Amino acid sequence: MSFRQIKAYIKRNLNGWWIVSILGAAVILLPILFVFLSIFETPSEHWAHIKEYLVKDYVIETLTLTFITAITTTLLGVSLAWFVTVFDFPGRKILRWALVLPLAVPPYIGAYTYSTMFSYTGVVQVTLRNWGFHPSQDWISLTSMRGAVVVFTLFLYPYVYLVTRSFLERQSASYIENARLLGRNGMSIFFWVAMPICRPAIVGGLSLVVFEVLSDYGVTQYFGLQTVTTAIFKTWFGMYDVNSAMRLAAWLMVILAGFFLIERVLRRHRKYSASTSKSKPLQPIKLGSVKGTAVLLFGMVVLAAAFAVPILQLIVWATWTYQDVWNDQFMFFIGRTLYTAAVSTVIIMLLSLIVGSATRSRSWGSALLSRTVIAGYSIPGAIIAIGVLGVFLSLDQVYGEVYRLLGGKGTPVVLSLTAAMLIFGYVIRFMATGYNAVEVGFEKTGTRYSEASRLLGRSRLYTFWRVDLPLIKGAVLSGCILTFVEICKELPLALLLRPFDFETLSTRTYQYANNEQIHEAAIPSLLIIGISFISVYVLHYLDKRWET
Amino acid sequence: MSVVDIDQLEFSYDRKSKPVIQKLCLNIEQGEIVGIVGSSGNGKSTLLRLIAGLEVPSAGVIRINDKTVNDKSTFIQPEHRGVGMVSQDYALFPHMNVASNIAFGLHRMPRKKRQERVQELMELIQLKGYEDRYPHELSGGQQQRVALARTMAPRPSVVLMDEPFSSLDAELKQSIRSELRDIVKAEGMTCLFVTHDQADVEDMSDRYIRLGQ
Repeated sequence: MSFRQIKAYIKRNLNGWWIVSILGAAVILLPILFVFLSIFETPSEHWAHIKEYLVKDYVIETLTLTFITAITTTLLGVSLAWFVTVFDFPGRKILRWALVLPLAVPPYIGAYTYSTMFSYTGVVQVTLRNWGFHPSQDWISLTSMRGAVVVFTLFLYPYVYLVTRSFLERQSASYIENARLLGRNGMSIFFWVAMPICRPAIVGGLSLVVFEVLSDYGVTQYFGLQTVTTAIFKTWFGMYDVNSAMRLAAWLMVILAGFFLIERVLRRHRKYSASTSKSKPLQPIKLGSVKGTAVLLFGMVVLAAAFAVPILQLIVWATWTYQDVWNDQFMFFIGRTLYTAAVSTVIIMLLSLIVGSATRSRSWGSALLSRTVIAGYSIPGAIIAIGVLGVFLSLDQVYGEVYRLLGGKGTPVVLSLTAAMLIFGYVIRFMATGYNAVEVGFEKTGTRYSEASRLLGRSRLYTFWRVDLPLIKGAVLSGCILTFVEICKELPLALLLRPFDFETLSTRTYQYANNEQIHEAAIPSLLIIGISFISVYVLHYLDKRWET
Repeated sequence: MSVVDIDQLEFSYDRKSKPVIQKLCLNIEQGEIVGIVGSSGNGKSTLLRLIAGLEVPSAGVIRINDKTVNDKSTFIQPEHRGVGMVSQDYALFPHMNVASNIAFGLHRMPRKKRQERVQELMELIQLKGYEDRYPHELSGGQQQRVALARTMAPRPSVVLMDEPFSSLDAELKQSIRSELRDIVKAEGMTCLFVTHDQADVEDMSDRYIRLGQ
């Protein structure tokens, strides 16, 4: 390629949209690189101690928790998906939709609620004692690995359930029908046909569960587990050793990369879709009254445990404490949560629209750019927080020096003490939620309208405002709602990156729960669940629209 | 005078794959209607996209009205080529009515002249009174005429049409062919269209070229 050709290529492809997109991607990648580069720095004095005595235990406990939760969520999610797609029984339609509801309850809220309900003074033990039972505390207490597994399973199974259900409904009809014609019955079809063909879908849903468990701080910290994520917090807040926290974050990234590698291997040579495009919906088999009632009961018990019971308990606690909690200061926290989420969402959606527009052509550059801007979604909040902090501390150093060079007196504004750091963290972490919605919108409309507009002499910017944006406004709106909700309920990033005395709904819930003021935590928890419910509804609405 | 002049044009989707278009030369004179016929997959639509500037050729030169729009060092963006294109699915903006669709490319005209031009085209395509309708409220044939009017409105140097009759039923096709030819001729436009149907080129074009085997 001659110099003239390279110049022509750059001239052809480089425009304002690309420049902004590349800058955005670079900024997003910066904190992640910061964490990686920390491995090559000289370790702090604490690191030798952490490495020798603690890392091994942290890694083992993290892996054990993740592994057991993966098995239990698979069992629960797949069996529920199987029942509501393959069989017809009274209440199936309601159950099919309602089983997604536990997604609206963040696991850390479930953890506080259940551990209090099962504590010595909680409703479960009091009731049992009233009935004359005196269970052992070791057996009934949830503050253990067992409790964490139960909580994660109850509130994360919908990920596996949703993906598997969708796969079974759309792709499995002919396989299951043929298996039945070949003389196989329910259980045999489940293990020999459904499970193997659903494997890629199950692995897909499971990878979301694994990611949630690895990034969790609320549940594991409350139940006293020693995971790598809790260790990052301890090193940061307990030892004030950012360098070691970064090294731990790098370790967590290694574990995460390992899980993604396993996911790839498990999906290898497996096709996600059927070999023919003609897929017809599965006709459910009608169950007899006994079997039908048993299946309905099973679904309802799960739904009660994962949604109705904790919500009812929270409502009861809320009635006890709302006079103390619902005051001007609390309204201020709500306003601050909504304001921070709104600012972050606007930045995310603007950047998503710019990158989405720039990367509509099929090229390796577009693919690379779009993957880079969403990199934050597959990285736990704690790692992003550490990276962001590293970047801001360096920025403060540079800024301070420039400030002094320019003759500034006194202390310059310290960027790492402002909410900008938290907003930056949110943008990196939730860029994918907004970007994916925009990308789906662009994919659905295709390039024909923009091409028509440009051939009629209109500029890229005009085409974007008058043609692209009106056509994808639905996708942009759903992206806005999903991103906003995700930010409102986020905990680890908010805990690590918030400025001094800065509270959001999630950090307030955490504070109450950690101060053993569980009843006071009910109102912020219910508000978070209410906001999360919006995202579950939006997802359900989008799913229905795509079906039609 | 030649309006479109293509010399040794080549195109492939990536370096490893076989070129879709190889050393193609083509010359279209002012006011001519030229048809390109061939089976699917031999680069007919790609050729139109290359002329429009929606794809970048791997080699060759494209000149429009004696101005080089594409060679080794030049690439004129689609909006500056003065080329109009009617795509296979018409791509009428679904959120704009018929009049706004037709007026879309007339942004450099004063408002009064723009309205006159829209009316002139509405008459030409025999859809007067349909100005406020939205694309989904029109039949397939009506949509196609609107798409053609929108493309011709800014008076481009050349109108490109990608399989203009593929989504019409056989009966409608017959009448639309002669209608389209009359409209293009009435405006004195130069037109290049691609089709897989021999009858289309025989009915509509002044001359035609067969691409591929």
